[in-house]
Amino acid sequence: MTKPHDSQKKAKGPIRWNAVIPFLVFCALIYVYFHFFFDHNLRKGLEWAGYKAVGAEVNIADLRTSFLKATLQIKGIEITDADKPAQNIIEIGDIRWGMSWDALLRAKILINEAVIENIQFATIRKHPGKVAPPELPPKPGPGVLEKEAEKLKEEALAKAQEEYANNMLGDLAAILGGANAQAQLGKIEGTLASKKRAQELEADLKTKQKQWEERLKTLPQGKDLQALNERLNKVKIKDFKSPQELQASLQELDAIAKQADAYYKQLGSTGKDLDKELKGLEASVRELDALVKSDIKALETRFRIPSINTQDLTRALFNKYLGKYRAKINHYRAMAEKYIPPKYMDKVTGKADKEEEIPLQPHPRERGVSYEFGRRNSYPLFWLKRAAISSQAGMSPKAGNIRGEILDITSHQALIGRPTVATLSGDFPADQISGVLLKLVLDNTKPESLITYKVDVGAYPLRGSDLVDSPDVKIALTEAVGKLNIEGQLKALREFQMKLNNQFTTAHFAVTAKDGNIDSILKNTFANLPVINLKGDASGYLPSMSFNVTSNLGSELEKGLRKQVEAKIAEAQKQIEAYVNKEIGKNREAIEKQVQSLRTQLDGEVKKAQAQLDAQKKQVESKVDQAKKDAESQAKKKLNEEGKKAADALKKRLGL
Amino acid sequence: MTLLLKQIFSFFQLLNSETGTNQLASGLACGLILGFSPFLSIQTFLILFLVFFFRIQMGAAFLAAFFFKFIAYLFDPLADQLGRSVLEAPALRPLFVQMYNMPLVPLTRFNNSIVMGSMVVGLILVIPAFFLFRLLIVKYRETVVARLKGTRLWKAFATTKFYSWYTKYNELYG
Repeated sequence: MTKPHDSQKKAKGPIRWNAVIPFLVFCALIYVYFHFFFDHNLRKGLEWAGYKAVGAEVNIADLRTSFLKATLQIKGIEITDADKPAQNIIEIGDIRWGMSWDALLRAKILINEAVIENIQFATIRKHPGKVAPPELPPKPGPGVLEKEAEKLKEEALAKAQEEYANNMLGDLAAILGGANAQAQLGKIEGTLASKKRAQELEADLKTKQKQWEERLKTLPQGKDLQALNERLNKVKIKDFKSPQELQASLQELDAIAKQADAYYKQLGSTGKDLDKELKGLEASVRELDALVKSDIKALETRFRIPSINTQDLTRALFNKYLGKYRAKINHYRAMAEKYIPPKYMDKVTGKADKEEEIPLQPHPRERGVSYEFGRRNSYPLFWLKRAAISSQAGMSPKAGNIRGEILDITSHQALIGRPTVATLSGDFPADQISGVLLKLVLDNTKPESLITYKVDVGAYPLRGSDLVDSPDVKIALTEAVGKLNIEGQLKALREFQMKLNNQFTTAHFAVTAKDGNIDSILKNTFANLPVINLKGDASGYLPSMSFNVTSNLGSELEKGLRKQVEAKIAEAQKQIEAYVNKEIGKNREAIEKQVQSLRTQLDGEVKKAQAQLDAQKKQVESKVDQAKKDAESQAKKKLNEEGKKAADALKKRLGL
Repeated sequence: MTLLLKQIFSFFQLLNSETGTNQLASGLACGLILGFSPFLSIQTFLILFLVFFFRIQMGAAFLAAFFFKFIAYLFDPLADQLGRSVLEAPALRPLFVQMYNMPLVPLTRFNNSIVMGSMVVGLILVIPAFFLFRLLIVKYRETVVARLKGTRLWKAFATTKFYSWYTKYNELYG
């Protein structure tokens, strides 16, 4: 008897037990593998990969992972030096990596610590390490890249030589060495503006003298005054017989007075015109003085007589020394230009108003928009709480005792309310470098981001650094102990500030100059220099920056050089001044003499004529007065006589 | 791959049998959720867990996921708009802040506009879709399968040795 097909099968429950058990077994196997074998296999895998990557044996002493703690720890990493298999090229004591499950379950990455400690270089291995067989050598001859690099290097060298060959000390040396100004002066004869003007003035004066001589001829001469005098003497001034006679005399005297006035006015206006002309000439002579000064200045410029400026001197001295640092700043500036968001760059470069390009938009379905619903003291998407690195000076000459730490690298500083702080401190005993401290703070917790940085080096040796390398002068800092401090900040990714303070103690210089005079001056100056400091100040809105350098080296050197240079400059100035004065001196003297004689001559003539006229005028006036008095006395007398006659006639008529 | 193919064959076998209607309908409904969810998200793993440990037809779930993935792809612009409006709703903001800082919930990637839009659509459709799929399966069996089994060709095939071997094998190992 057979049962129906469906009823034969046992009814199955909702859970697939036949799947659960294999799954659990699978999980158990995974657990067993990870618990017992994974660390070992990973360690071996890393050693193998390291050997393949660096071509030398890599050893890892211990490796531990923990899934539940989300940690990784690697101890004793040794990488064999392929050239010296008995040594390690680098040995790392401890690498620790720890994450937080609490954050991972919230889809956030929180790294509690990422530490690399006890880095040592050139340590001795217990057993010589295995080294991979060498690869086949490349084809002989430089490749395209090498050729291009060589070409660029040559171009840079040529540019540097061109730049530094014309530095300021070279010019100073040329002057101090006695660049012969006199030799040059002969070549520029006839180009002096003052000389040209003096010649013009002289010619002008001659013309004016002729004009004035002509005009003087038109003035009342002695004979005219004599005629006037004679005419005056002829006028009757007494014993007038009739009023008509008196009237005629008075009219004649009036006419003579008017003629004298006319002469007087003519002389007055001529005198004024002359005075005006003479003042104009004197102004022209003064103008000539100004032209002489201007000519002297132009000649000084032509002969490149420098005025010593401490800042320029410092810049000239440290141009080469700072060149490499300036190149680094430019490099980082280029990086900033590359990475600063375009909207900020456009503001800085003034391109904010340009027409916006339409960017390629990814289709929304590809990604969508991810919102972040953060709150204070919650986990950001990424947070590395502490990363540390430390090394110890080993046998390697380049190794140092270093301790570095980065705190709070995060994708959202506002959520945790802490800035990212990176510090690196230590020293390199083999290189005599001590007190190194680098500190960088990236603060985005405020509306405007602020990056502050600090670099301190307590002491470092400086050897063989060329300061000046021109054909005339060579100055090198052969030995010194330096101390460096750099501090600065970058606000809102565009407002840049940096202060540099560099000190050199126990500095020794190698100074050579082509000219013996300057050689001794420079040697004496550099031998007596105290502590040298170099201060720099850079600021501006990226990418444009201004960089100023000051140093006491400039001022100290200036003091030493000033005396000699000033003497030379004064000598050159004197030569030029003497030359200019000599060139226009003759003309100037003649002009002044002519002006003076003209003034004396004309003044004398005009004054003489004026005196004569004044005398005649007085004579006319006295004669008029005399005529009037005489006429008046005669009239009185006549009136008395007439009255007497009339009284007598009246008496007769009355019979008295 | 073998497991997957086996499950897909099983889906067609079950579809043409007279049992497993709920298994098939729930499998298709789970496939809908899978299709509308991003692959690397906790809800995908949750659905896979359910499909794996509970008697939900896997083949149906995978086939439906494959099909609804295309639908979701076409629906993405709308899902993006919908997700933005949901995520930007001020009234829901405290809830989302709470969810965003809870364990596991952020692993759903609910804070992404497309994921949120698709999730909303998936959750709205999953229950009606289950009943709709059940209805369609029943209708399919009543019409298409019954008519096919009534044809002479099927009857002739059912009498062959191959079919009897297949039936026996299915009884023993199916």
